[in-house]
Amino acid sequence: MNFTMHLRLFFRSFFLQAAWNYMRFQNIGFAFVMLPVLKQIYKKDTDELPSVLVRYLENFNTHPVMASFCFGALAKQEEILAHEKSLPRYTEKIAAWKEIKRSLSITTASIGDRFFWGALKPFTLLIALMLWLCMGVNIFELSEAGSISYTQVFVALAVAFILFNSIALWVRWKGITLGYKYNAKACFGLTHFDWNRTTYWVKWAGMIFSCLMLGFAIIYFLRDFKDVDFRLVARMLLVFTCVVLSLISRRLRIANMYVYILMMIIFNIACFF
Amino acid sequence: MTPEILMLCALGAFLELDTTYAFQFLFSRGIIAGPLLSLVTGDLMSGVQVGVFTELVFIDVNPLGGVLPPSAVGCCVVSLALHAMGIPLCFAFFIGVLGAAFFSFMERSMRLGRCGWVVYQEQKIVKKASQLNWTILVSLAQAFLLALVGFVFICSVSGWIMVRVLPFIPERMQMVSAIAYMAVPWIGLTTLICNFNFKRGGK
Repeated sequence: MNFTMHLRLFFRSFFLQAAWNYMRFQNIGFAFVMLPVLKQIYKKDTDELPSVLVRYLENFNTHPVMASFCFGALAKQEEILAHEKSLPRYTEKIAAWKEIKRSLSITTASIGDRFFWGALKPFTLLIALMLWLCMGVNIFELSEAGSISYTQVFVALAVAFILFNSIALWVRWKGITLGYKYNAKACFGLTHFDWNRTTYWVKWAGMIFSCLMLGFAIIYFLRDFKDVDFRLVARMLLVFTCVVLSLISRRLRIANMYVYILMMIIFNIACFF
Repeated sequence: MTPEILMLCALGAFLELDTTYAFQFLFSRGIIAGPLLSLVTGDLMSGVQVGVFTELVFIDVNPLGGVLPPSAVGCCVVSLALHAMGIPLCFAFFIGVLGAAFFSFMERSMRLGRCGWVVYQEQKIVKKASQLNWTILVSLAQAFLLALVGFVFICSVSGWIMVRVLPFIPERMQMVSAIAYMAVPWIGLTTLICNFNFKRGGK
């Protein structure tokens, strides 16, 4: 795969989910990303393209960033398939291609969901929150509009944005190369990274940061009180109730959104009595 | 509906594309969308707070498989639009959360509704491969228009109701709503600790 083709796959991969649908998920986006590769492989045999496209329009669903491994691996498999002359072996290779597509999409989806959505995204949120609190931006109470500068806001945003995207874009780019370069024995380049270890360390760091953040936030929230009075007790009670409520809702698998909505409804009903 | 709120909805619709349909640079996450949208209203502090609260309230719902979580951009747009109309942030955010859930329902309906169109497009793509580009373009336009119409609809209806209802809301109701609003970061931060649970990550 030359650099131009790599670049085209990379840019087209941003539109993988453009036509997401409940029937075949990312199938149209997948065909859209792979079209330049297919056109190049079948440039001498354009009659073959419609039947090939039918294969690409079958079910496809994976994580948008990790999908790059699928693009690289399936481009390589398509090249092998296109050069196959004997019909029985061609049928065999098509079955293998479908199996690779199915298994690779499931594996990459699992890794991507766990690493990008489950670890990296919340970790970058923590970094932004930490930076804001360190710069004196009180996110817990609404201050005057003029009390916050653009620099304070956008420095933290830029750090969170760059941290997430530098990793995501690098994996997107590198995934195409690795998927194309390695075969099934090397898991199409997936084993090039130690995903479990990386996820473990990000989660470990996230756990420490979030505990620190919670402690820091409590100190920040109560910092203006010099004596123990009703307002201080009320605030401490609020924090304690919310922490306990959140832990209970985690156990019961109730989403935060519903906890908040329920609190709003119960508080409003209770205030009439 | 002021031009400022229309602009807010248009920018929100553009950012909403980033959630699923294009790029996934995470411009659509609460902490980025909130401050960016507040550049339109001019109230940066509210933008930051709404953004952080949105991210924390939706921290435990991820777009896994076919799951469509409530729209973080939708929540920020509705909250900031209502706040710009003079609604206190504690009510505006609550309506924003409900609006985000309603917008997800609209989006799900759009995705279900376009199944027939997708089948028709697939047949055309097989006949003519260049049809793929057109299909992607139309899909993006559909998503943008849905978000724009959805945000304008939710903002105007909820804004119209809230502006009329607000003078009749007793002060104690405002106070308890503010307490529930202030609870959001604490619920969210505790969820973050649970989110980094090693059992789920594994080594």
